[in-house]
This record gives sequence, C-alpha cells and structure tokens, in this order.
Amino acid sequence: MKVTAKKEKNLKKRLIRYIPLYIMALPGLLYLFINNYMPLPGLVLAFKKYNAKKGIFGSKNVGFKNFKYLFATQDAFVITRNTILYNIVFIIVNTVLAVFVAILLAEMTSKLKKIYQIIILLPFMISMVIVSYLVFGFLSNDNGFLNNTILAALGKEPIQWYMQKQYWPFILVFVNAWKVIGYNCIIYLSTILGIDRSIYESASIDGASKWTQIGKITIPLLKPTIIMMTLLAIGRIFYSDFGLFYQVPQNQGALFSVTNTIDTYVYRGLLELGDMSMASAAGLYQSVVGFIFILTANLIVRKLDPESALF
Amino acid sequence: MKKKVLATLLLAAMVTTSVMGCGGAADSTSSADKAETKQEASTEKKEEATAETTDGDFSLAEQAIADRKAKAEETGEYEKVVVSFFDWTGAPAGIDRVNAKLSEYTREKLGVDMELLIIDVAAYTEDLKLMLSSGEQVDLFSTCGPGYMTCVNNGYTADLEEDGLLDNYGAELKNLIRTEYLDACRVGGTLYGVPPIKDYAIQTACILIGTEYLEGAGVDLSKFEKDDLGYNKATWDDVDEMFAAIHEAYPDKIVYSTQDNLLTQGSCVDNIAGDYFGCLLDPANSLEIENVYESELFKEWADRAYRWNQAGYISGDAMTDDNGASSRIKSGAYMAMMSQAKPAYQNQINGECGRDMTIFDVGDAFMGSSAVSAFPWCMNQATEDPIAAMQVLNLLYTDPVVANLACWGEEGVEYVVNPDTSINWAEGVNPDNSEYYPNVLWLMPNQYAAHVWEGDPIDVGEQTAAFNDNCPVKSKALGFTWDNSDYVAEFTALQNAYKEFGPQVIYGFVDPETGLKQLNDALYAAGLQEYMDAKQEALNEWAK
Repeated sequence: MKVTAKKEKNLKKRLIRYIPLYIMALPGLLYLFINNYMPLPGLVLAFKKYNAKKGIFGSKNVGFKNFKYLFATQDAFVITRNTILYNIVFIIVNTVLAVFVAILLAEMTSKLKKIYQIIILLPFMISMVIVSYLVFGFLSNDNGFLNNTILAALGKEPIQWYMQKQYWPFILVFVNAWKVIGYNCIIYLSTILGIDRSIYESASIDGASKWTQIGKITIPLLKPTIIMMTLLAIGRIFYSDFGLFYQVPQNQGALFSVTNTIDTYVYRGLLELGDMSMASAAGLYQSVVGFIFILTANLIVRKLDPESALF
Repeated sequence: MKKKVLATLLLAAMVTTSVMGCGGAADSTSSADKAETKQEASTEKKEEATAETTDGDFSLAEQAIADRKAKAEETGEYEKVVVSFFDWTGAPAGIDRVNAKLSEYTREKLGVDMELLIIDVAAYTEDLKLMLSSGEQVDLFSTCGPGYMTCVNNGYTADLEEDGLLDNYGAELKNLIRTEYLDACRVGGTLYGVPPIKDYAIQTACILIGTEYLEGAGVDLSKFEKDDLGYNKATWDDVDEMFAAIHEAYPDKIVYSTQDNLLTQGSCVDNIAGDYFGCLLDPANSLEIENVYESELFKEWADRAYRWNQAGYISGDAMTDDNGASSRIKSGAYMAMMSQAKPAYQNQINGECGRDMTIFDVGDAFMGSSAVSAFPWCMNQATEDPIAAMQVLNLLYTDPVVANLACWGEEGVEYVVNPDTSINWAEGVNPDNSEYYPNVLWLMPNQYAAHVWEGDPIDVGEQTAAFNDNCPVKSKALGFTWDNSDYVAEFTALQNAYKEFGPQVIYGFVDPETGLKQLNDALYAAGLQEYMDAKQEALNEWAK
C-alpha cells in the first residue's frame, strides 16, 4: 500500500517536473495528432466501394476486393520484388557510403571542409524531376553525353539506354546514392563529432594508427546511430521513392520489369481509374507490411544488442 | 502555485483541441444530416411550386426565378452557382471581372450569382475530386479531366432528370441537343450529364506538314483533290513521297513528330468503353469485340512506323519525349505530325504549331461509341439548389451573353466585334497578355452560342452539325458505356503490358514481327481474353 502510494507520488512529481517540456512538445504533438491520427478512421475506405453520395462510412462494404489488384496480376510479384530488393540494396549501399563519407569529412582538417559538405549535400536539395533531366542529359539517344562523347571516344556503338533494362538497376542505385548520401552523412557526421576527443587522443598516445582508431573507436561508437537509421529505413521498405522510379526512367514501359515498384504501379493504375478506395487499400497494405517489418527488425536487434533497439 | 496554473492551462488547451477535433468530425456528419433535411425541404418546396403553377400563369422556371429574387431582396444576398472547368494556365487574371459581369447579368436573368472556377489542367482532376468529395461548393463541372465514367462511378454526379429537372428548368437546353446525343450520355438509363455541343465526328488520320517545308522541298500541291472540308485528299504513298522530299530538303530537321495516337486519331477503330483492350474493328457494321493489336490495320501502322524510323524520320528520343506533337513543331525542330481534323481546324492547328500547316486527309470521318459521352457537363450530387444550377446550365448552352463571357471574356476589353459578327483581339491584346483567354472552346457547353473567331467560317456551327450528320462511319455502339470496376486487376495488368511493349512498336523502334508478338503475348498473359469477353457480354446485353 505504502509502496504504491509512494510510486504515485513519484509519478506525479515527475509529471509536474516535466510540464515545461510537455508544453514545448505540445505543438508537435498536436500536429502529429491532426495529421497522423485524425485521418485514421478513413482507413475503412480501403474496404469500401466509395460513393460520394453515400459518404465514406455509408458506402458499400466490399471486404478485401480493393486489394485484389495488388495481388491478382502477374505484375504483383515483379513490383513486390523490385520494391524490396531495391530498398535492401539502397539501405546497404547508402549506409556504407554515408558512413565512409562522414568519416572522411570528420578526419578532414582542411578549411574547405564546409564547402565539401555543402557540395555533397546539394544533390539532396534537387527535385527528382530535375534529376531526371540531368540523367537524361547523360543518357539521351540523340544528344546524350554518354552516347555522343564517352562511347563515341571509345569507339563503341551508342546504346539505347531507355530501352535496355539490364543497365537500370545500376543506374537507379547510383542516382539514389548520389542524391541521398549527403543528407545521411550529416547525421553520422554529427554523431562522430559528438564522440569525446580524449578517447582518440589517448588512442594515439598508445600508438594506434588512424585506421585502428576508425575501426576500433569511430565505427563501434557509430553503431547505435547506424542501427537506428537502418531500422527506420526498414520501416519504409515497402515504400519506394516515387520520383526515382517514375521520373528518372522517364516512365518508360520498356523498363517496367526493373523499375516498376508498388508506388509507381498504384499511381499508373489509379491515374486512369481515379478510385480512392483502391488507393487507400494500397496505402494500408504498405503501412501494415512496413509496421510488421519494423517490429520484427527491432525484435531481432533487441535480442542481439538490447541497448541499440528503438523500442 | 505557478505550476498549478500551468497545468490548468495545459489541460484547458488539451480539452479544447480534443473537443475541436471531435467537433470537426461531428460537424461533418451533422452537415450530411443537414443536407438530407435540406433535400427533403427542397422536394417539399418543389411540390408546393408544382401546386402553385397549376393555379397561376407562371411556368415552373419563372416561378423559381421569382422566388430566388424575392429571397435575395429579403436577405440582400444572391445565391451563387459555381461552374468549374480547366484551362491551360490556371485562373485567368481577369476572372473576377468576368465573374462580376456574369453575375450582373444572371442576377437580372435568374436571380443568382454565377462564378466560373477555372483551374489549370494539371491540377483540375485532383482539385475537382477533392471539392466533390469534401463538400466544397461546385455546382456544375466539366468531366473533361477526371472522366465521365469515373465521376458517375464515384457517385459525384446528380441525376439531371430527377423530378423533371431537365424538362422544367432546362427545356431550351434539351431542345438544343438531339435526343440521340443525350441518350448517348445515359449510364444505366440515367442521364448524369449533357454533352458539350461540338464536333463528335473526327476526320481521322490527317497528316499535317508545315507549308514552308513543302514549299522548300518543291512539293506540288496542285495534284491533290479537296475533300468536303476543303483539305487535300492524299494516300499513304503520297505521304511517303512528301516525307522523303522534305527529309532530303531539310536533313537537320526531324520529319515526323510522333505521339501515341495511331488508334485514337489515326483509325476508325472504336475503343469501346474507353480503352483499346478489345475494340470494334468495323464499328459501323459489327458489334464483335476483337483484339486490335492482332489486326491487319495495326500491323499496317506498325510497319509504316518501322519504315519511317528506319528511314530516319523519327527522333531517337521519341520514346522519352512527352512534349505535345504540335509544340515540337512550334519549336521548329520537327516538320510533320498526324492528327484528327474537323471543320475550321486550320486556324486551330496553325495556332498550335506556330506556323502555317498544310492538311492532308488520309483517313475517313468517324464517330466512335464514346464520342458524345467523352466529357459531358455534370451537376454535383450535393448541389444545394439543383434548380438554380440547371437554369445556369441552360443559360450556358443557350444565352449568347453568358456564352461569350465564358468563352471569350468581356467585349471591348478582351475582344472586339467585327462588322460580320466575328471577333478579334482588342487593341493591344494578344494570347500572352489577355486577362481572359481559357482557349478551351471545345469543352465549353456551347461554343457556337458565342462569337466566331476571325478567319473561321461564320456558320461553323452549322458546318459542324453537318459534319456530325454526314459522318460515314458511325459506331453502332454509340452511347454504350461499361463500368470496368469488376475487372480492375485485369485492366491494370493490361495497361502495364501495353506500356511495356506497345510504344516501341508504335514509334517503330522494333521490327513489327517480333514487337507485335511480344505485345500480344504480354496482353493475353495479362488477361486480355477475359477482359474482352466481359466487354462483349455487356455489349450484347446493351444491344438487346
């Protein structure tokens, strides 16, 4: 009895102590509530045949019919495979490159460091539509840099880039890495800069080389950040960057088998049909699978290294 | 103490926000209730109105106008009818002025305010759907953009004949549009939209070549006979010859500006129920649904495209270039394109291509099953006052003042009237600086109620009507519509299969032998047969 009373008092005390913090968080929480929680009842739309006359809740229930087009076609396998495989490759490649660049920047003492950082970050700020035309500048059949300059100089035949699908997995991974590592590396860089410098100092007194310092100090201390970033990415493994897969290949049909992902498939299908229920079904499906993935991944992490788990 | 105050404040804030949140939701449901009660009220009112007309001399329409005017006098405020359609550049700068002019007229005429809500073409479909599903006011809208069947299937559209709406309040409009064309817009027997008055027939497969290039290559035009519309009659061999000539004279320019329009604009194949996965190959005589991609006709086109591509007439970037065919010609890098013609097409295409174009008519005139019902004007099912909306729609079709304001803007500001009643730009005004120039005549309810632009024949309306009437290939399935929502999975798969293997055949990048086989294999694997069977069944049912 006494113990619970004490606990309650503690709780109360803690709550009161943190009130200013709660107030600070209030606008954010409100935003989260309005933006992310209030629309949740709308999810029932995924199980309805929407009719504006009857409204969202009055429309006819159709069970899982709206999900059928996601699974019942021959494309279902291709889009699921593409979405997941690309995301796995992106997670690995982007993490390795971002950590690498972050360590390079951290070790750099040059005055130009800030400028390098800005240059690496720049692609992240460019809209995908513009990126798609930068890529087109390289790959265009008639006027492209690759066909007209590089391949011509090497004496090779020009390649119809937008009709040859074997090149696209590499092109997309490259473009994605070029675009996002600048942003990812900032997060790693800030973690590295937060590491206590005295550890490095004592390491170098003990005669550790730069390589040993990176391998034994920087990377182990970066691990929690890497795990957190990876977990977050895994939560979105069923989503794809629409601009990357739609704009960059210029929406070319001939490349569908390597560029079609769930998002582009849904967009193409629904652009013609304009069916809100099916769009909601696709969104719900992606969220649920993403949710399961992130829980599983977190569970595994918690088993292996409890301190790095997200929750 | 301070903390207590803070806590209370926080609590208060939380309570209000949560109440507000709930309030929003509660409000929306109650507004639905309100709408229902309002509907009930309005039906009651209608009944009253009917009762009155049997006694008095007023027609129902006059009575409705008088009622609204009386109400406006009481409240000092007119009810408003919002009309939405798209243009190319978003709301014109002079829209408020034009709306004020319109309202000034409609207040007197109908006792309502009228507002044109013009949205740019890229945003129109999304914006309109949001407005229709969120209850924002839009009373009349063009379905050009979202598509007629989409709007009907989603329940956005009102039944225009409910309680005699069209008969009592849109009588002139009903007289203006032929029953045949009205019936073509019925879905399951219900009339959800009225078609814009325009050319429903198309002159298919017209090759357009820049006149300057023909002259430069020394092509002799005198050997061509003229067709009914006054364009040069030509054969595909003539076209091949001319392409070769201009290619030789202008080796730096690309001959043919491609677009994926072989079937839509280049053939008399009827894309029954809105897509080409199962078509009528001989729509004037037969209701048999066939796979067009296996037909001789498509093979011929594919061979031609392949030959043109091999001869270097087509850009290597044709597959990725999504600019309009005419805007490419406007840029000066391309010389010819294929399109569909109609009466008074010359002015339009010259404007689009930025130069004088010579029109060669290779195909036949054709009226497809969905030609009339492609994008009718509809009424929002949630409209508060369907009677006022119908009367405004009636005015848009029949009243020159309203039609002119909506199509061309204000007389003396945007345009001036010539002695022969045609119009031209007002002093110092041009397409770029005009404050009101939507340039979407073809989707307006009735462009022929408005002035004719200088250079077009004054009787373009009659010419168009005759063109529609004389069309030799009229689809037997005119007015057939089909809701494919039970076959969405197949439709999506078919679309993907087509996009993967279709364009390269159409633009001539693969040998038709292999290209067509790939395309057809992919289509059948995606369920083409089931899709066609379903269409055929619906069509047979409809034809009974």
